[in-house]
Amino acid sequence: MAKTIACSCEDVTAEDIRRAFQRGYRDLESVKRYTGLGTGPCQGKSCLAVATRELLRLGATAGEVAPFTVRPPLHPLPLGALAALDPEPLPLDEGVPRESDLAKGAPPAPPPLPTRARVVIVGGGIMGLGLAYHLCRRGESDVLVLERGYLAAGASGRNGGGVRAQWSTPTLVRLARRSLEICQRFAAEMGINVWFRRSGYLFLAPTPEHRRRIERAAELQNQLGLRTRILSPAEALRIVPQLDATRFEAASWNPDDAVVFPWPFLWGYAARAERLGARIHPFTRVTGFESSSGRIVAVGTDRGRIACDTVVNASGAWSRQVAALAGVSLPNKPVRHEILATEPLKPWLEPLVSVLGNGLYFSQTLRGELVGGMGDPEEPEGLESGSTLRFLVRFARAMNECAPATAGLKVLRQWSGCYDVTPDNNPILGAAGFPNFLQLSGFVGHGFMMAPAVTEAMAAWMAGDKPDEIFERFTLQRFARTEVTREDFIIG
Amino acid sequence: MPRLADPRFAPDCVIRLDGRLVPARTGESVASALLAADRPLLGRSSKYHRPRGPFCLSASCACCFVRIDGVPNLRACESTCRDGQVVETQNTLGGAAHDLLGAIDLLAPRGIDHHHLATFSRAANRLAVRTSRRLAGLGRFSDRSPDPWQAGPEEWFEAVVVGGGPAGLGAAAALAGAGRRILLCDRGEKLGGRLRCRLELGGDPPLAWAGEVAESVKGAGGEVAPRTVAVGLWPREGGPMAALVEHREGRIRLVRSRRWVLACGTWAQPPLFPGNDLPGIHAARGLLVALAEDGVLPGERVAVLGEGAEAEATRDRFRAAGVEASSVRGEVVRARGRRRLAALDLADGSWVRCDALAVATPRMPAAELAREVSARLALDPETGAFRVEPGPGGAVAPGVFAAGEVAGPCGGAEAAAAGRRCGEAALDG
Repeated sequence: MAKTIACSCEDVTAEDIRRAFQRGYRDLESVKRYTGLGTGPCQGKSCLAVATRELLRLGATAGEVAPFTVRPPLHPLPLGALAALDPEPLPLDEGVPRESDLAKGAPPAPPPLPTRARVVIVGGGIMGLGLAYHLCRRGESDVLVLERGYLAAGASGRNGGGVRAQWSTPTLVRLARRSLEICQRFAAEMGINVWFRRSGYLFLAPTPEHRRRIERAAELQNQLGLRTRILSPAEALRIVPQLDATRFEAASWNPDDAVVFPWPFLWGYAARAERLGARIHPFTRVTGFESSSGRIVAVGTDRGRIACDTVVNASGAWSRQVAALAGVSLPNKPVRHEILATEPLKPWLEPLVSVLGNGLYFSQTLRGELVGGMGDPEEPEGLESGSTLRFLVRFARAMNECAPATAGLKVLRQWSGCYDVTPDNNPILGAAGFPNFLQLSGFVGHGFMMAPAVTEAMAAWMAGDKPDEIFERFTLQRFARTEVTREDFIIG
Repeated sequence: MPRLADPRFAPDCVIRLDGRLVPARTGESVASALLAADRPLLGRSSKYHRPRGPFCLSASCACCFVRIDGVPNLRACESTCRDGQVVETQNTLGGAAHDLLGAIDLLAPRGIDHHHLATFSRAANRLAVRTSRRLAGLGRFSDRSPDPWQAGPEEWFEAVVVGGGPAGLGAAAALAGAGRRILLCDRGEKLGGRLRCRLELGGDPPLAWAGEVAESVKGAGGEVAPRTVAVGLWPREGGPMAALVEHREGRIRLVRSRRWVLACGTWAQPPLFPGNDLPGIHAARGLLVALAEDGVLPGERVAVLGEGAEAEATRDRFRAAGVEASSVRGEVVRARGRRRLAALDLADGSWVRCDALAVATPRMPAAELAREVSARLALDPETGAFRVEPGPGGAVAPGVFAAGEVAGPCGGAEAAAAGRRCGEAALDG
């Protein structure tokens, strides 16, 4: 009984808070993510004050202990209750809370910002941190990563954690397979658990048209060596007995697709990159770029100026804003996507299930929660981060159609992140505007799963290796040409 | 006797806990029935399989999650007893008392760093992932299809008061007294909030006042909704909207108004010392309500943690009920006991023998609703609690006011007065 429990839902001890603090996680959002505190069924009602008090006692400042974001529902709420509401009159507004958790009083990050770095990476998500790690591995360790919030504040900390090879173009299939390989080895190689689980992905095709789409994709995937199979509704029911078999025509099943826990990828990449010499500065906002003779020569931030040779824009949904600071115009649009988590249950759902058409997806995390989301066709462009009731209701209704037995599942919390959407659903890579202003953006909701492979390839390309074809195909210049091929296996 | 010998509290039905019969009173909370039956152990914790039992007794913590009639993860403290109910403890292998997985806690006295567990080889890691998945989660998937929920069209009120404690009652009295048609909702089984503890601290309004205010609200055409939780408050053009949930009847409502008074009170906070999560450690206010309304005595020797009038009155209330009760004098360095509290070790080397601890230390303002509409917060560095900081007249956002303990510690009379001021300010708004 010697443990002092600070969060009784997740069994987080006072010692865990101390360890997180010693690792440099001084703000409550980071401590929450690193320890799991406040993510359980009581929704933070019993641990917020305890954690705050402990952090203050350990030496955190009052600015650093801004309370973690509060989001609905404030009491466990069954999907069946939400499904009883009509989503139509509910507005697709900015949602709550109105203040962005990124805009919180940011603690000044020690140590002081360097005045020079060969490579400055804007964005401390999985793209930026993964690239920093791979550059260091290749001997380029004079790398500085700037992140405006805490690590995992952007989409890398807000996604559903799916990693799948079921794509409809050979390029994405190849990249995703490489990512799956890296994810599988990540824990042992990087020394941090990412809870990689080959759960499989089950795509449901609700109409004959969707059925033809998955059949076409499966054919391609089989040619490329994937084990994808088209299943009848009865066969799909053997994998997920809770599904309503009358609601879909067929399903596409790949048992080798996987789910992971996203956050530790960032911590793992960050820790290894730092060990190899990279410097990572959270809570640092880029305010502008200086150029001279057709090249970017320095990055301006709210904490000082950094002279540099190369800048990489890996800021996800903020890419267009960041590029605009350099006078470069990107066609990317940020679009909010909402997501939720339910009460933790013993394992009952094996794969990640996704419904083509309405974009519903859900899986069971290793902690037992159902995590799922669904896009809203009416969602306008914008960097919104609030949570809406409309999403909860639309999601609950879609779940009710797909798997009626889930109506009793109680929603514990919802959150949102932004997709970084491009006109053809494919990324923007390589130089744009300046030869030393490199883009690593536009992954339209699948950036997290592509990042392990793409950052590895990007570091190789930056080091002068023979470039992967993606750096020739996915340039900004392609949009000037007439024809673009859309990727149509985007979900969410 | 774990229940007061009063005919009002005589059991009239039987529920089952893991197959064993437990006498209960129809309509009381499952947590009350189990505490009265001297069964505070209701399951095991998620990671270390530590013993868990009711702490807050007011549906804010998640320590009393049980399976009831096939539905997992229900709070014993907000579920009501009826004859024949089947209650099961959760997350155990071989029962809550002798859970074999409790070995995890003993084998890892300093805890398990799950981030770096079994990362030394791919094979070990695969095994760790497989094992963790099997151990994860609290309850098992429901084996009952849930009853359908009721929902109606959006409802408008002239004002909505969230919270039926002294502050909310003060606001409701002002609004209903001026003839406004309001909704007064409260999370609890009945109105009163902390007045239900019946401590009658200096200046506290009597609990009977809650009944008077309820009549006045209804008299003005309004509605009183107990057992109703606001799960969110969304700013909207023309007036914020809340989703209100009544779990027992399975009803969800969308309620809008141009005037809101948030008198949400506080959440119980666990104490912080080794063994602080043992069954037998409870929030004092929750225990006092269970004592007053269900005749529940939590143990034979009740220790009371905390300073000040409320803590002392808590101790006196248990003494008056015939229980050996004492105040904890000095710093607690650990709680002892295997499956429930047995004693507290103090910093001076002495110890207190007790089988229940009533925690009457500062609570945390329930600021969540106010935060959703961007209320300003202030930090109390002593307790680590964030309280709502209302502007002049109690306003925290356009048309939204906050009063009572949600804005910081205050007595019942003070809360009622602050609530009344907010109600009056909302009249003008």
